[in-house]
Amino acid sequence: MSVEVSRRKFLQGSVALSVAGASAISATNLFSSEHTSEHQSTNSRIPSTITTKTGTGKAENVPFLCGICVNKCAGFARVEDGIITKLNPNPYFPKSRNMLCPRGNAGIQTLYDPDRLKYPMIRIGERGDGKYKRVTWDEAYDAILNGTDKFKGIKQILDEEKDNRATIGYCNGEGLSKEGFEVLMGEKIGTPNYVDEISICLETVLGGYFSTIGTYGESDLNNADYLIIAGANRAEAIITPDTMDMFKRSKGRGLKTIVLDPRFTNTAAKADRWLAVNPGTDLAFVLALTYVVLKEELYDKDFAAKHMDGFEEYKKHILSHNYTPEWAAKITNIAAKNIYKTAREFMAARSPIYYQGRRSVFSKNDYQLRRAMAIFQGLSGNLDKKGGIVYGEKIKLPKEDINAPLYAQVQARFDTQGIAIPSLKTGSWIVFRNMVLEGKNPYPVRAMFMRKHNPMSGVPNTKKTEEFLRKMDLNVMIDILPSDTAMFADVILPEASYLERTSPVASYGGLEPAIVQRKAAIKPLFESKTPEVIYKELAEKLSKPLWEITKKYDEDVQDDTDGMTEKEIEAYYEENGFNLADAWEKTVEEDNKEKVVKLFGEKAWAILEEKGVYYPNIEEYHKQLNPNEFEYYPENKKNYTTQKEKLKVKCNLTNLTKKGVDAMPTWHDDYAFSVPKGKFRLVTGRHAQFTQSGTTNNMMLRDLIPTNYIWMNNQVCDNMGIKFGDTVEVKSSIGKVTIMAYPTNKIAPNQIFMLHGFGGSSEKMEIAYGNGANDALLIEDKIEPVYGAAVMHETNVEIRKV
Amino acid sequence: MARYGMALDYKNCINCKACEVACKEENGVELGAEKHRIWVGGNNPDGQWPLLDIASAAFLPSQCQHCDDAPCEEVCPTHATYYDENGVVRVNADKCILCSYCMNACPYDARYVDDRTMTIDKCTFCSDTRLARGETTTACQNTCPTKVRTFGDLDDPESEISELLRTREHFSLKSHLGTNPKLFYLT
Repeated sequence: MSVEVSRRKFLQGSVALSVAGASAISATNLFSSEHTSEHQSTNSRIPSTITTKTGTGKAENVPFLCGICVNKCAGFARVEDGIITKLNPNPYFPKSRNMLCPRGNAGIQTLYDPDRLKYPMIRIGERGDGKYKRVTWDEAYDAILNGTDKFKGIKQILDEEKDNRATIGYCNGEGLSKEGFEVLMGEKIGTPNYVDEISICLETVLGGYFSTIGTYGESDLNNADYLIIAGANRAEAIITPDTMDMFKRSKGRGLKTIVLDPRFTNTAAKADRWLAVNPGTDLAFVLALTYVVLKEELYDKDFAAKHMDGFEEYKKHILSHNYTPEWAAKITNIAAKNIYKTAREFMAARSPIYYQGRRSVFSKNDYQLRRAMAIFQGLSGNLDKKGGIVYGEKIKLPKEDINAPLYAQVQARFDTQGIAIPSLKTGSWIVFRNMVLEGKNPYPVRAMFMRKHNPMSGVPNTKKTEEFLRKMDLNVMIDILPSDTAMFADVILPEASYLERTSPVASYGGLEPAIVQRKAAIKPLFESKTPEVIYKELAEKLSKPLWEITKKYDEDVQDDTDGMTEKEIEAYYEENGFNLADAWEKTVEEDNKEKVVKLFGEKAWAILEEKGVYYPNIEEYHKQLNPNEFEYYPENKKNYTTQKEKLKVKCNLTNLTKKGVDAMPTWHDDYAFSVPKGKFRLVTGRHAQFTQSGTTNNMMLRDLIPTNYIWMNNQVCDNMGIKFGDTVEVKSSIGKVTIMAYPTNKIAPNQIFMLHGFGGSSEKMEIAYGNGANDALLIEDKIEPVYGAAVMHETNVEIRKV
Repeated sequence: MARYGMALDYKNCINCKACEVACKEENGVELGAEKHRIWVGGNNPDGQWPLLDIASAAFLPSQCQHCDDAPCEEVCPTHATYYDENGVVRVNADKCILCSYCMNACPYDARYVDDRTMTIDKCTFCSDTRLARGETTTACQNTCPTKVRTFGDLDDPESEISELLRTREHFSLKSHLGTNPKLFYLT
């Protein structure tokens, strides 16, 4: 057998594919050749060339945990003469099993990014104009405390707000140092107003699965034989071990794969059947699958009787609503015969999985969709067993004991408007921001402390985010790059990247649990500091002055300390946790060692230090099977079944009714997909070469994906006279962008797609700045009703060629 | 002494390009779309939405085929391109005069110009980096999320690659040209 191949032909194909991940436009168009081959740095700790050929001499291999996205793959950093020359995968971690994706490999370019934040800075110009002054760390902390002539300090703000700590908001990106920031802001400084990234991410997925089957679970794709994967794109949005397992057995090799996606993704290219579902209508598809299975009595009856609470009510509910495939076909754009076939095949399979999915909330019915998916999985009985969705186990690490002070003046969070089950801890970005903008906050919100988070790109409606940030009296940003959001900060603190810091030891559960430790491969570059050091130093700086404000306004503290001597008051301050810095008495390194030695002994610590990974019996269990595969646990030690009798699938959550949420997944007519004539539904997403806005300044990745394009149906483009590379204006009710067109047959005539994370507005990020378009300028700030999470796929746009 | 080759379980490929980045970082390859030692080919699916031809949208990872009878070696006027002791097709930068005959001769478009060394460079199977350090995998094999590649000694009957080629059906690219590639695509 021989196949005709020409690389040029491939590259040609790739031009069209570039949106999906190939090289179209040479990066050399974008910068001078010096820029693409040299760092032009005189710093001996920065390599002179962008890519560095690895040497054959002495090198250290330091275990790290990748921080380029949320997944956390393990690797070893090759360090030669103090410079990281290569990142290699770590074969000891069962979650990432000796792999690094393109972004993981390109992490070096983020470490050595010439645009990195190098030293603390305070704003000397107007917000957003990028004028900053380099200062010392102490001057930066001082500016946070006391302000400058350009902005107010936290001391004045808290004094004016009479110690209502809730006047401070904070947000945080995902990562191993996330918890420390929550300790500093939430527990020690004491504000409840946290807006976590979860409300612009997978909140409904987690919520739907937890409330239905008690876990999000892990899909045992290695042993499954049938897979429905809907609205998840594992070929391009890489999650381990799912991505690794899924595609080794697709294409007629043991894992029959049904892909639902409005567009033809790289995952769809691996499908046995691709169903081009209308955006936001997956729920109708799942309800119709459920209808077939119940009507034809194909479900696992023993399992339903034993483990499914409210099964009879659910059965009656589905059948009486007549959720037939014929009904769903009109809503979903999926032929009834395909729904029948998929439902029957699913139940006939030995180990079928309806993949849970992840990422953002697509539509306002997302919580109910996830519930319906989890219940449907239950109908197959393929839960808590090999080849199904499993619960797994986690190695427990001791929880930090935080001495959190109590503040009498602090008020409660308020971002609950329009939300059935408001999250007290993590909040709703959109509701919080919008209520502040609309003046619906019951007390002033005057400061934002932000870390490793870029709401200007991540939260729908960038204009509102900008307005919100401009409204603050004080914005603080801790980050590694001068992001769009950092440009609205008054004080910028440069953080060490994940390759320059040892992070708190972390535990990853599942079928094959392990604990992992990220070790600093090199010392922090420039004047950057590790997050935990920043938390500690900031806490030390703020502690006493904020205590003075508490003493001034806090009646409880006044009552308690009445008549005390100064020495007694000092003791009270320490005992009651008002010393903000007491949470960081030990360094991360000391803390990790103490924890691991206490739990597993010195030997375990030595293994963790060397390999970056530890689990009980690792030395006995871990084996290399062949050049590509490793065994982590023997088959009989994997946690396939852990729930047994406790396993419950909750079909009918009657307590939701009083909150106005359907107790059982129900279709409502306003969930239907429709686009007015002449408009397009905006669908957004990511792919394997980018992690949102966090990597758009990465030279290596930019080399692979030069920009984002707008996917438009090729026939529509023909009618509109739009060709590849033409600039088009895309306009929604909240804003407009210009972007280059990519006509393709991989998307429906009334839909468009663009990659998320592009169109940077920060001039300080040379490569990301102005490149492509920012979808958050277009996506309307709608929320789903259960948690108030941002809905990403309910915006219609107009398009014209410019 | 070995005879190195590579087997590619190409149906595993998801076109993520981890191999391309790993190759560039390991071997210090220049940035730029045309500076590829390794690449993933992909075709747009045939048909009109939503009736697309899934089978036509396969991904084909590729790189220098390390031919036993390499056209690029044959045409090189200065013998800059040569077979090393392990059968790997290599380039001697000192001898290369940038005549680009090799680029034209290669039926796989696997040669590119390195503007820094002024050499028509190519994949080395990581011979002067990883293999020189005694490692047994190439950067592209090691990093691959779906484990497409198996690199090894074709002369060693016990090697993983020999076993794969004995037991799995496979094909070579443009085999009719008589180049005898040492890259094998497993079906």
